[in-house]
Amino acid sequence: MSYTPRHAPSAFTTPASTTLFRRLTWEGTVPIEVRVDPKELPANSDRGLECYYLQAPRVSYLPLLVPEIKRFLTDVVFDDAAARAMKEEDWWFESDDGALLKWHWPVGLIYDYHTITSSIRPSAPPQQTAPLRLTLHLASPPTDKLLLSPSADACKQAFMGQMKEADFLRWGNTKRMTGLRKAEQDGLWEGIKEHNFDEYWRVAAKVTPTTSPNRSYSPPPPSATSMHTRPPSADPGSSGQPDKDGAYNVRSVPVRMYLPDGPVLQDLVPPMLEDGTMHTLAHFLHTHLPLIFPPPNTASGRELAYPLVQGVLVPGEAEMAWLGACMAGADGWVNVCVGIQRDAPRF
Amino acid sequence: MALTAGSPEPQSRSLPPAWTAGDTVGNMQEVLEALETYKKKDPAKVVVRFKAVGNAPIMKQNFYKITASNRFQAVIQFLRKELGWKAGDPLFTYINLAFSPAPDDTVSNLFKSFATDGHLIVNYSTTAAWG
Repeated sequence: MSYTPRHAPSAFTTPASTTLFRRLTWEGTVPIEVRVDPKELPANSDRGLECYYLQAPRVSYLPLLVPEIKRFLTDVVFDDAAARAMKEEDWWFESDDGALLKWHWPVGLIYDYHTITSSIRPSAPPQQTAPLRLTLHLASPPTDKLLLSPSADACKQAFMGQMKEADFLRWGNTKRMTGLRKAEQDGLWEGIKEHNFDEYWRVAAKVTPTTSPNRSYSPPPPSATSMHTRPPSADPGSSGQPDKDGAYNVRSVPVRMYLPDGPVLQDLVPPMLEDGTMHTLAHFLHTHLPLIFPPPNTASGRELAYPLVQGVLVPGEAEMAWLGACMAGADGWVNVCVGIQRDAPRF
Repeated sequence: MALTAGSPEPQSRSLPPAWTAGDTVGNMQEVLEALETYKKKDPAKVVVRFKAVGNAPIMKQNFYKITASNRFQAVIQFLRKELGWKAGDPLFTYINLAFSPAPDDTVSNLFKSFATDGHLIVNYSTTAAWG
């Protein structure tokens, strides 16, 4: 990736474009096919109909999709006796490559992670818009691997934990999250449940940094370089500056990197580099995954990998701070999924 | 080395022209090997410091070296064992008195982002404190 170091944020930082990209991110959906494991289908089920298709919001979670799937199964597939005996707390999902699906991962992340993991399989089909094929198991959940119970409430707690972790990364404390009233915190979750952009962002705007333009961009204070060793109580004394809530003033953008078949990597991601330039996605990938994204000017540099954020191929010039403000998931995290381009190019 | 893969449409996820020439198979092998390198588990150990909150019992020893590649779930299980907690006994864990991490996050990731003076501080409580 080549890029020209920039000292000022891109043009995509006006309030209107921030709202636009947040809405595009929010409205993103993924196609899902749910098939009950044929071996577990109760007697007298209508076998011709055991498949259910839905278009799920990327910001949603599997436990929030369960009621809709359950309604379909009880109304259409199962007979009355089987419907009564069904215990959704025993349900669990598996993808077509045998991976267990985590209850606390956003649906969009599950989809993208499956996309990149398929990208290294020799038999990977070339199709791009295929549904994510899930097998629904009705019994014997491997709870030690799923880690969380399948309830919407456990999922909400995990979501709040992620929101607070993101808050802590940005500011060195969780004051913005803990400062929300209970009704506001609940409103975040309700917004996700109802897929309601306005309801979610009414509250989320209080904790998510803005990308307001027309500010002066001085290099970060020297203390930013000692971020690793600074105790959490030593919040940067940015108070008094007009842009203290800005995306370019956070201590670190909440970012996780996902590689095919794992692992998941996380590190501090300052919005500005020490030389005062913007921290771009290209710089981030060259720094953290140099074997896959070789830095420019190295002889071996031929990239076969691509970064996906919210299902979108993101250009290397994208700023990490901008991604954090405009393309993070509802839990505040930017999930960068790295896929491998396996097949011969299609031109 | 220019990256031109900037199109937002997933349908156009085709390779930049630079990739059309050369031995792609060999490169693919390199990429797969690189992925294996990143998958290798970090054998390093980091210091985790447990701190009781509220009525939770205090541990005699509260500094432990834990393998960084462990998931946080392993830390929770270790703590439960040390405290003699039975299955179902409530235990809430937090980092820096602030948040509960996802159980599948690794100690290594948490340490890199949240260590204080070389320690990862894990608070534990018998009631939800900052849930």
